[in-house]
Amino acid sequence: MQSTAGPARAAGPKGARRHRLIWGIATAIALLCGLGYWLHLRSLEASLVRRWPAELAHDPRMIRFAVSLARPVYSIRCASCHGANLHGDHAGGAPDLADSIWLYGDGGIGDIENTILYGIRSGHPKAHNVTDMPAEGRVHQLSAPEVDDVVEFVLALSRQAHAEDAAERGRKLFYDKGNCFDCHANDAMGNTDYGAPPLLGPQWNYGGDRLALRNTIYSGRHGRCPAWISVLTPPQIRALAAYLYVESHAT
Amino acid sequence: MVLLALGALLGLAIAGYALFTAKGTRSRSVPPEDLALVNSRPILRSDFMSQVQTEFATPFAQSTPDQRAKVLQEMVAEELQVQRGLEIDLPSFDPDVRTAMVAGVQLEITADVLAQQPTERELRAYYEAHKSRYVGEGVLRMRDLVAKSGSAAGAEQTMANAQQAMTALRAGMPVDQAVQRYRLEDSGALMAAGHVDTDEIFEFAAKAKLAREIYAAAAALQGGQVSEPIRQSDGVHVVVMLEHRIPVQEDYAAAADRVWTDYKNDAQTRVRDANVRYLRGRADILLSPEARELEELAR
Repeated sequence: MQSTAGPARAAGPKGARRHRLIWGIATAIALLCGLGYWLHLRSLEASLVRRWPAELAHDPRMIRFAVSLARPVYSIRCASCHGANLHGDHAGGAPDLADSIWLYGDGGIGDIENTILYGIRSGHPKAHNVTDMPAEGRVHQLSAPEVDDVVEFVLALSRQAHAEDAAERGRKLFYDKGNCFDCHANDAMGNTDYGAPPLLGPQWNYGGDRLALRNTIYSGRHGRCPAWISVLTPPQIRALAAYLYVESHAT
Repeated sequence: MVLLALGALLGLAIAGYALFTAKGTRSRSVPPEDLALVNSRPILRSDFMSQVQTEFATPFAQSTPDQRAKVLQEMVAEELQVQRGLEIDLPSFDPDVRTAMVAGVQLEITADVLAQQPTERELRAYYEAHKSRYVGEGVLRMRDLVAKSGSAAGAEQTMANAQQAMTALRAGMPVDQAVQRYRLEDSGALMAAGHVDTDEIFEFAAKAKLAREIYAAAAALQGGQVSEPIRQSDGVHVVVMLEHRIPVQEDYAAAADRVWTDYKNDAQTRVRDANVRYLRGRADILLSPEARELEELAR
C-alpha cells in the first residue's frame, strides 16, 4: 500500500497544480474568446446602426447579420399581428410585410425603420398619423347606396366581378362627393405620405371582397402599430427594418 | 499633522472647484444610433434622415452633403433652444407652451382610444345603455297667459277670473278674444325681439325660460289643450298649448353616427380622467383653506 501510495502522493500536488493551470488557461482563453465574440457582435451592431440605410442595403454581410438578429425579435414582437410568415392578417388589418406595398415611405430601410421606431397612430408624437380612412357612410359623407356604388368601383379597379352601372356611379363618387382621390390618388395608386394604400389589389389590409370593402368605406379604418423606440434596442430596430426590406424585395 | 491638514485643504479645494465648475455628466463618444449629442441629448440618425427627406422632399440617399449639413445645423440649433426653454422653465409661464404640452400628453394617452374602432355590438350596447340621450327634441308653440293680481284681497277674484278664462278657452274661445275679455296678459317669459313668441320653440329652451311649475304644466299638455290655473307670485297663469310635438325616441339606425361619436368621446374622457386621477395620486398637492373648500365642492 505504501509503495503504491507514496509516489502518487508525491506526484499529487504537482499534478493538481498542472491541472489547475491548464483549467485556468482554458477558462481564460474561453473568457477571452467570449469577450472577443461579444465585442465583435457589439461592433457589428454599432456598424449596423451607423451605416446609412442605402449603404446597408448593398452590404450582404451586414444584411445577413441583420437578418439573424431580427428573426427572433420579429417572432416575439411582430409575428402576433403580422403573422409568422409576414403575410399579415385581414381581421386585424395588419398589412403583409413581405409584399412590395408600403403604407408609409418608399419601402427603404430608413422609412421602415422610422415606422418601427414611432409606429402608426401609436400616441408617439412622431408616429405616422396624418389622417385615417374616414367613415364615409357613418358620418353621412356618402349614403349607404353610394357606399355600395364605391365598393363596386373599387371591385372594378381591382379586376374583380362587379356591377357595371354601380361601378360607374361609384367612379363619379370617387372623384367627387367621396373625395377618395384626395388620398388614394387619381390613379388609385395610393399615397404613402398619408398611408393610403393602392386600390388595385390583390393585396388588401382588411380584405378585398365586397363585404370587407363595404365595412372599410362605411365605418372607416384606424389601423395602428406600436412605437418600439422604448422597447427594442437601436440595433434590433435597424435589424428588423433591414429584415423586412430584404423580405419585401425578395421577389 | 501639518501635512494632514494641508492634504485636507487641498482635497477640499479640488472638490470645491469641481463642484462649481462641473458641466454635468459628459459622454466621450456618440452612440451608434445617434448622429450627435447636444449637452448629452441625442439627435437620432433616424430623425435626421426623416428631417432631410421632409425638408428637401427627396429620398435621403439622394440628398447632398450640403443639404445634410444644413439640416444638422438646424437640428442642433433646435435642440439648444428646446434645452434653453426648459432651462428657463418656459412651460411654467408661457400659455402656448402649456397648451401644447397638455394637448401632447392627452393625445398620447388617448391614442389607443382614437385609433380603436368600436364594433357594431359595442355601439349597440352603448346605445341601449344611453338611450335617453337619443331622444328627438320636443317642439312646442304656446301662450303663457297671466291674470295679474293687484292686492291680497283681490287674489281670490283673480283666481276666479283665471278659471273663467280657462273654461272659455277650453270651450274654444280664440286666445286673443279671451285675453281681452278676461284682462289677461302674456307673461313675457317667451319673448322674441320684443314680441310674444308664438313660433316653435324647443322644449329645452322653454324649460330654461319658464318657471318650473309653468313648464311642468306645459309639458303635460297636448296641442289645443289649456292648463289649470297656476298661482305664481305675479298672478295666476293659464297655459294655452297651440302645438306640441312630443320628444320621440330615435332608433339605433337614426342615431348611429351620434352613438359612434359619443362612444369615442366618452372613452376619451374616461382615459383622460383616469390619467389625471393617477397623476393626482402620485402628486404632492398642498391646498390653501379656500382651495380645500373648493376641492370638497368639486367632489
